[in-house]
Amino acid sequence: MDDRWNLMQDQPFSRLNARERAFAICNPDSFIELLCPRRKLTSPHLPPMGQTPQFDDGIVVGLGKAGKAPVVVVSQESRFVGGGVGEVHGTKMVMAIRLALRGQEILKSQYRSSEDSGQVALVISFDTGGVRLQEANAGLLAHSEVMDAFQAARGKVPIIGVIGGTVGCFGGMGFVASSVDVLIMSDVGRLGLTGPGVIEEVVGTEEFDAANRALVWRTTGGRHRFITRDADFIVEDTMKAFREKVSEVASWPLEKISSKRIIGTGDMVLEQMRLVELAANDKIQDSWDLWRQFGNEDIEHLWDSDVSEFAAHAQRWPRGRIGDCD
Amino acid sequence: MINFYGRGRDAIDLIVDEGSFQENLCGGERLDPEWAESALVGTARISGETVTVIANDAGFANPRFRMVYAGLMGLEEGLKMAHAVYLTIKADEDKPLAEKRPIILVVDTPGMSPGKVEEIIGIYKSTGAYQLASAEARRSGHPIVAMVIGRAISGGFLCHGLQADRILALSDTFGTMIHVMPLIGIARVTKINIVLLEELAESNPVFAAGVSHFYNLGGVDGIVEAVEDMRPCVEAQIAEIRRLKAGGEHDKVGPWSRLMSGIRRGGRKTSEKVIELMENEFDLALPCWLGGEDNGPTP
Repeated sequence: MDDRWNLMQDQPFSRLNARERAFAICNPDSFIELLCPRRKLTSPHLPPMGQTPQFDDGIVVGLGKAGKAPVVVVSQESRFVGGGVGEVHGTKMVMAIRLALRGQEILKSQYRSSEDSGQVALVISFDTGGVRLQEANAGLLAHSEVMDAFQAARGKVPIIGVIGGTVGCFGGMGFVASSVDVLIMSDVGRLGLTGPGVIEEVVGTEEFDAANRALVWRTTGGRHRFITRDADFIVEDTMKAFREKVSEVASWPLEKISSKRIIGTGDMVLEQMRLVELAANDKIQDSWDLWRQFGNEDIEHLWDSDVSEFAAHAQRWPRGRIGDCD
Repeated sequence: MINFYGRGRDAIDLIVDEGSFQENLCGGERLDPEWAESALVGTARISGETVTVIANDAGFANPRFRMVYAGLMGLEEGLKMAHAVYLTIKADEDKPLAEKRPIILVVDTPGMSPGKVEEIIGIYKSTGAYQLASAEARRSGHPIVAMVIGRAISGGFLCHGLQADRILALSDTFGTMIHVMPLIGIARVTKINIVLLEELAESNPVFAAGVSHFYNLGGVDGIVEAVEDMRPCVEAQIAEIRRLKAGGEHDKVGPWSRLMSGIRRGGRKTSEKVIELMENEFDLALPCWLGGEDNGPTP
């Protein structure tokens, strides 16, 4: 067990599958999967369409420890229908959040809650295009259930999101990821609502050229999201980097974790309004226009520098003080 | 048959007391009338009771963001609606549960704006902010009723509608559209034969467009058959929501209650099994997960 765990730590996070990520983001030998593939709880909707289901429906849910904190882990598998959210997939995610909340109550009431016993945290690894079209309606409803469960967990269970897979996090899961307390991304990870291909198709290539990889990454990639503070941390694309950051954050007091939120209060809406103001009337043509406004100068160098150098030197959105810069 | 596409304003007048709607007045605060005009927010009365109204007015485009037109919701629209909800929560923060004012959502949106600048800034935060605000208002006692009068499509519906306590929809005869993507689009993207999809859609509500499919999945709580029924149905829902919340039954309203309805109505059979198995396995794993020598059960 430990050998496999050790081996995975040095692997690129982006190359591991959902189960490996869930297993290796926890302490060695601590991961217990719920509704594991042996249960064969598959989508009943795919076979009639001639499509092969998967025994976990493209999502791994389990319990583990991250450092001292008991964690509920959710990990989406983008290699199965693009990580799309269907009926089973969606309900597994909703239940994971509800069970984290229940776990927290049980921990506080029935187990010793000394300083170092920690608190239950929820960790979600997003790798999805959002709703699974084959089960579109159920997938859509599941998103609303997830958002409601997030609100129920507010002030009780900290939620840590990670985005480092090859699909990234798009569609409805984009707003789910923006509703977590702390979001950790890698260079590989991308976050958006409407995917580049869809914008190109609906609006046109002149609006967005989805074949332009550099454009796609500088619009939705981890570096840009770090600059706009949608991502709190940018880490190397290794399993170890993600695990260490998750463990670190999970050990923080709840108030400190919650303070990293970007939406979820009236004041935060006012902050976001100021950010939006910067883009009104076609003032922004490219994400780098925004970078410049935040005081970044040698942007190409910043873009090419390695992740730790980038994180150290990037000038980020001065949260809540946009008015001062205008 | 008449329809209400782009007629959010007309629908408001049919639901609230005549002449009572005051646009851009929210929880006592006045909003800039030129700000994101397609996000129509204000205060009105229903049978004399003060309510917040949030609606789409597809007749307005947003001159500051060119991808906002025809009811599409953009960066500013989502934030404006979220702002209206937070002002509502604040206005009633000292009032007891029974006096929290209702929020009426009049839904007619084809979705979120698909644009480059929307992605650069991160439009998911606008829709996310509005959903979290709505969930907070609902959980703090405000009855939220959504009335779907035209289009309730994909991310637009998630943002504006699906966080309500109860969702009503005008029936299919009014051309009401609820879906993620039309069948032809699903066929094209998934490369599944459209004839097969049409066949499957007859017995399975899980992917095809339509009010009745969403009803069977639990996503719509009630179908309204006549225009003049909208007002009494909305009022009846407010009363029912108040009754449930007064009894502390928060899981009998909102998204979780719709999941339960979907199970009862047979549209989400597999979800029931997922819930049951996960709860059982969680209980079995608990001692091992939370236990351990440093952290055993309190004697």
